[in-house]
Amino acid sequence: MSGAEYEVMIIGAGPAGMTAALYCRRKGLHTLILSKDFGGQANWTTVVENYMGFMEIDGPELMRRFKEQLPGENLTMLEDEAIAFRAEDGHFLVEGKESGAHRGKAVIVATGKRPKKLNVPGEDSLRGKGVSYCSTCDAPLFRAAEVAVVGGGNSGVQAVLDLLAVGARTVYLVTDMEITADPVLAEQIQNHPQVRIYPYSRVVAVHGEKLVTGITVRLEQNETEEELAVEGLFIEIGLEPNSEIFPELWKNQRGEIVVDCHCRTSSSGVFAAGDVTNLPEKQIIIAAGEGAKAAITAWEYVTKVGALQASAAI
Amino acid sequence: MPEVTVYTTSTCPWCTKLKNYLNEEGISFIEVNVGADPEAARRMMKLTGQRSVPVTTVADQVIIGYDPERIRAALE
Repeated sequence: MSGAEYEVMIIGAGPAGMTAALYCRRKGLHTLILSKDFGGQANWTTVVENYMGFMEIDGPELMRRFKEQLPGENLTMLEDEAIAFRAEDGHFLVEGKESGAHRGKAVIVATGKRPKKLNVPGEDSLRGKGVSYCSTCDAPLFRAAEVAVVGGGNSGVQAVLDLLAVGARTVYLVTDMEITADPVLAEQIQNHPQVRIYPYSRVVAVHGEKLVTGITVRLEQNETEEELAVEGLFIEIGLEPNSEIFPELWKNQRGEIVVDCHCRTSSSGVFAAGDVTNLPEKQIIIAAGEGAKAAITAWEYVTKVGALQASAAI
Repeated sequence: MPEVTVYTTSTCPWCTKLKNYLNEEGISFIEVNVGADPEAARRMMKLTGQRSVPVTTVADQVIIGYDPERIRAALE
């Protein structure tokens, strides 16, 4: 275990975590921010046009600026993955994969979300070999190719549009219901000659040895299966929270950590902010605001606990 | 220092983050935009087995995705 005891440990360094870190540092709290990836989900965003102060900025560039604003007295920044968390003797322990255990008086969980997987045969072994979760990254590699997209929400339809924009030959859209994307997006693909839509369908297997060569689609309405010869599969079925290492905290059905309007969780001394929480509307600007709020609440908690301990010692 | 090559596409946020990291660390690298050059994309797939970016090669080591730890280790 590292020798120091922190007043606040922040797990996760997306917009919520980094904003919380800045507020904690400015409050003079001895703070650790630990994350395998500074920037989090905002790094996946190509262009941000709704963060105040910037007409247009790339997600990674915005996060680089967040990070640039952090360093200062009292703040330790560690690029490492938190793999375990527990309460012990009135304190909290966070275990870093490389950096070992860290001890603190309060914790802010800001671990965000990650893309959901299909969990079908071939998905893991062919990841990066035709299976992709980032159409903005990989669509240009599928020029003149037959490709499939799973997911009928905004992200799925946007992936179809990304693929059409780079010249994919045919795009199959597989969705477990009807298309639920905003009409302004859905209208662009619904009668497109290069798009074939499979509603009420699921991808049940991905095929290929070195690279993806096809998928099996199950059509639920007529209970049949169809093989599609595709070179790529873009999976856009939403996100799930990174909340597994906090089993003791109350969560909703989606696995999001339940917080009150002060970012307090079900466990005293543990606060949460950003996309990992049950707060509606996942936006960079909202996550940043929640991070600020969580830091202020954590500061109040640490100050109160400190005062109680001091009075008990008299 | 071994030669570092980064395969990118112009719309890839992780590629931008990786290039920012290499620049911050003062690691010089060659960028190959495989989105703009289908022949380069084929070369990347043959060399790395990947149809995804970013991919970095450090000499003959292939590093997939944004992975500063592995890049640091490959450069040591």
